[in-house]
Amino acid sequence: MSEHHDDHHQQSFLSKYVFSTDHKTIGIQYGITALLFLAFGFYLMMVMRWSIAYPHEPLPDWMSWVFTDGWKARWLQDGKVTGETYNMFGAMHGTIMVFLGIVPLGFGAFGNYVTPLQIGAVDMAFPKLNMMSYWIYAVGGLVMCASFFFESGAAKSGWTNYSPLAAIADSQYVNQWLTGQTLWLIGLVFLISSSLLGSVNFITTIINLRAKGMTWMRLPFFVWAMLVTGFLLLLAFPPLEVAGIMQLVDRLTGSSFFLPSGLYTKTDGILEVSGSGSPLLFQHLFWFLGHPEVYVLLLPAIACVAEIIPPNTRKPLWGYRSMVYAVLVLGFLSFIVWAHHMYLTGMGPVVSTFFQTTTVLISIPSVILLTSLIISLWGGSIRFTMPMIWACAFLPMFGIGGLTGLPLAFNIADMHLHDTYYVIGHFHYVVAPGILFGLFAGIYYWYPKITGRYMSNFLGHLHFWPSLICMNLIFFPMLMQGMAGFHRRWYNGGDAYLDKSGEGVNVFGATVFEHIDLNILMSWGAWIMALAQIPFIINFFGARLFGKKVESDNPWEATTLEWATPTPPGHGNFIEEPSVYRGPYEYSRPDHDQDFYPQWAEPKKKDSPDA
Amino acid sequence: MVEIPYIFKPRKDTGLCNSKIAIWLFLASEVMLFGGLFSSYIFLRVFSDYPWPERTLPVLPGLINTVILIISSVTVVFAWAALKLRKWSQFQFYMAITLICAAFFMGLKALEYKAKFNHQAARLSDFTVVEGHLGYAKIDKEGRVSKVYHYGDHAEKGHGADHGDDSQGDSHGSDYKEFKHNKIFFKTSEIEVDVTSASGKYVDELIEQAHAAGSKIYLEEEVGAKRSYKDESPLQVGAQGEELSKALIKRAKSVFVSARTANGKLRRDNLSEQWAEAKAEHPDLRGWQIQKEYGVDVDLEAIKDRLVPMKKSLVFKVEPATTFYFKPSWITEGESLSKLKDNTILQGELQDSPMVISIDGLDFQHLVMKAEERQQDPETIIEKSWVLKDENTRQLWEVHKMMVVKLEEKLLEEYGAYKKDDEHGRYQKGDPKRVPTEKDHYRIDWQQIVAYGKALKEGKDISAMTYDEMKELRPGPVAGFTGPNHKTMNEYFPELSIPRNEVRFDSTFTPKWNTYYALYFTITGLHGLHVIGGGIVLGYYMFFGRKMYESNPDWLANRVEVGGLFWHFVDLVWIFLFPILYLM
Repeated sequence: MSEHHDDHHQQSFLSKYVFSTDHKTIGIQYGITALLFLAFGFYLMMVMRWSIAYPHEPLPDWMSWVFTDGWKARWLQDGKVTGETYNMFGAMHGTIMVFLGIVPLGFGAFGNYVTPLQIGAVDMAFPKLNMMSYWIYAVGGLVMCASFFFESGAAKSGWTNYSPLAAIADSQYVNQWLTGQTLWLIGLVFLISSSLLGSVNFITTIINLRAKGMTWMRLPFFVWAMLVTGFLLLLAFPPLEVAGIMQLVDRLTGSSFFLPSGLYTKTDGILEVSGSGSPLLFQHLFWFLGHPEVYVLLLPAIACVAEIIPPNTRKPLWGYRSMVYAVLVLGFLSFIVWAHHMYLTGMGPVVSTFFQTTTVLISIPSVILLTSLIISLWGGSIRFTMPMIWACAFLPMFGIGGLTGLPLAFNIADMHLHDTYYVIGHFHYVVAPGILFGLFAGIYYWYPKITGRYMSNFLGHLHFWPSLICMNLIFFPMLMQGMAGFHRRWYNGGDAYLDKSGEGVNVFGATVFEHIDLNILMSWGAWIMALAQIPFIINFFGARLFGKKVESDNPWEATTLEWATPTPPGHGNFIEEPSVYRGPYEYSRPDHDQDFYPQWAEPKKKDSPDA
Repeated sequence: MVEIPYIFKPRKDTGLCNSKIAIWLFLASEVMLFGGLFSSYIFLRVFSDYPWPERTLPVLPGLINTVILIISSVTVVFAWAALKLRKWSQFQFYMAITLICAAFFMGLKALEYKAKFNHQAARLSDFTVVEGHLGYAKIDKEGRVSKVYHYGDHAEKGHGADHGDDSQGDSHGSDYKEFKHNKIFFKTSEIEVDVTSASGKYVDELIEQAHAAGSKIYLEEEVGAKRSYKDESPLQVGAQGEELSKALIKRAKSVFVSARTANGKLRRDNLSEQWAEAKAEHPDLRGWQIQKEYGVDVDLEAIKDRLVPMKKSLVFKVEPATTFYFKPSWITEGESLSKLKDNTILQGELQDSPMVISIDGLDFQHLVMKAEERQQDPETIIEKSWVLKDENTRQLWEVHKMMVVKLEEKLLEEYGAYKKDDEHGRYQKGDPKRVPTEKDHYRIDWQQIVAYGKALKEGKDISAMTYDEMKELRPGPVAGFTGPNHKTMNEYFPELSIPRNEVRFDSTFTPKWNTYYALYFTITGLHGLHVIGGGIVLGYYMFFGRKMYESNPDWLANRVEVGGLFWHFVDLVWIFLFPILYLM
């Protein structure tokens, strides 16, 4: 009941920085935790890339120093990455990046920090729930990652955890509670609970805590995107929770939700289970979340970009209304496209056709969003600030990611491309140079508000250009390899297909032979990209102390409400309760002296058309 | 601290306070959660490849629980209204009723769960399904297995008949544990323990059983191993004659892991050197080309002096040879070699390991389904089934067949439409709208077994009995509130000793038994958690709400309202659950 106390004075370290209920602190907690998880997920990928590029060579010391000798003896074979270890790293890379990295960074960090500021609220509607949401997320993430150190290692069945593979994974261990797959599921239940609390809080805040005059169509696009993201999390996650619980029950009690009759494995023969379960059911439940989840990743990033473009072009966001409607339609459609991940499961042509149609439909709102952002640049006086550079890179990179998705939407084309590196290339273009660039843009954009100092431009460029080049070095060859038929789960990069008895006999071997050197190119791209993040890390922590100080509370001369707060915003955010007089992107209005007209600025004349 | 607006006063333009929005959002999410579960129910039921257990649960407890929950939903509204009227004690009164209802609901649920945990089922090799309660047995030093008691006798001796799994049998004056008669018996004189995967639970069980049998599990020879080449002589892992213990396994494991680590490092470093050389020799080739042409690998010759042998398993002698018994799920049995789940290997001889069960259900539906798939005549397959070789079950089956005929006649009598018999110009009954179902035909449930048993015992002329007369003899829903009662009705349930090779799959009525029970436990379990969670929140308002009531009664009323909404949702879920699990 601390709400009743007046504690503007002394707060203990714990309640101020650790168990804080202030949305800004929680946002920063989310952000830093998510960045750490992103770094960890990146590291797992670096090890995988070694196995793909140099499958016969021991992991070099500059990567393997992280592990103890004991761990290496258990999980590496003569120092080489084994298939089992590769699968473990692959499953955890996907999980960490999606559930522990990008969603918490986009929705948890930016959403938490920026949303209440932009709507002119003092805090989230339920500050304690907000704190709980963060801690449940942190515990869930730690539970998942702790499994690396257990006898069974971490989960190994891909980030999708398809049953029956995942349901019987690690079944040789007596204590099923301590196996990687079980801990993965328990961690997942934590994460879902966390995002449930978060989404309820976000939606309530946006509906009920908007400042005076902040009507729906005056909401910045960012807030709209958060609202839709909140609904996606709220409604799409529970079916995955069901799938997780059911798989947990399968593993712990020996039930057969997802295990068909007569299931045979090489080690156990016919399994002693009742059978009659359905592997397809798991996939339906998983992808019912899985697809909306893609938009949970995307919307915060595109929202950051939409906030950055207007102040840096000095003109309004082009097609604000159509973007709002597009994002609502996108949210709705994202619930009915899930089975395009399942064309090869034998659902039948009718079902496939339905999902093919909805999938093609969903590209319409996506294109509206991207096109509006691109047109927003037209005729603007662009300021190439650091956030703007990232935002500009987002547009084509995300464009490539989106366009490469179209062939996957058609089930005929998908038959060839399914489970190849093409798919990996496609969604990494969306997520890495797309979404991550958008989020980087957001970090550079709001950093001055959060800390009162700018991030260094020099280090920013040192971060940006190598990252941009490396991203394309990593992911473009994937598209080529994928079309040639490289399977996404080869732990040795296709090496096993090189026929020792001569190329003529083994047709596929010839294809692999042609494209295998791309593995080395991509891997070096990935490792150099790791180097390119060093300037960012220096910048991120260094600018806090040594960066150039901001000269005003509104350093980008932007119009949305977060810039009306003191820098950094204190507890309660606004010095006096803000009122909103106009839409969010009023730049270069001919009837106004300045080239921006903030939402909170009181109109001068009584009969002004702004009122 | 900052003041969050609209905590209990609604915002003007939305007309809602924060918590009201939040609870509806939360409930929307809950709808998706239970929607997912109900969809799974439909999916699994529609695509099931075994006869779905229809109307298989005793309805009475479910019905009572439905009524209870509805009552609690009403009283929670009264409690809220009392708060609005500022009547604190009335609020507490109604809230108390709500919570008592919740507790009653959970108690009844617990009774139902318990009955299922103690109820055994087995799918036999010909897909006959038998249900019942397992008998109890114990084993003596010579490995002879003897039946201890029936459920019925046992109850007379004054012990609770509903055992957990294995109960301690000290009261019977011996060192031996009594156990449910569904074990794999394996006589062994040699046990090989895998130190990396050995489970403490399994090791304890082996030690305990050996102790009870007066035998010893020990190392025949001293075991030593080096941790790395730096050890000049092998460390003693276990002394000659040392008995199996968890400490010994732990010691052996630690030495093994050290050796693995040391060897791993040697091999890794060596392979790195090999690759460095290979790359220096062929600077123009890629790694995979070098591997393909020249095959780089660890040079074992170079490091063989420093590699130490790794002791992954310990071999123990058992003296005298002892018969151990394990739950079927613990062991993969073979005639002369069995493997426990933790990779412990037992050498010896498999003993007879029957499942002894007093049956209260006999079900041929699955068998019939399989027979029809193979286009065989189900009746013939039933007649040849293993379970009907037993005299008692055969007798039950004969009575049952008679009763099915009588049921058919009864249905014809009651539901048969009249049709004209052309030859004689008279009307006859025909084409009944209802005929006996598959379940009527091929499943004998415990109510029927008791009825048939009573009729046989009283020496009635069964062929002269009507269907309704037989039905009269059933114990009814109250006597078997949560299922068959083996204390009072055991005399009617025939005992079978089923050889292990006839048992295809067995389980208690837990999620393992089939997807129906898996759904039953998962959905009702989650629902139960919701009841408990809601109860805790409402209970908090009742016991600790006084302070808030005095300072801000509207806020408390608002909280109770929100809690009540959740409570209604939980009730609604049950209203869907009751028909799909109990009635359909």
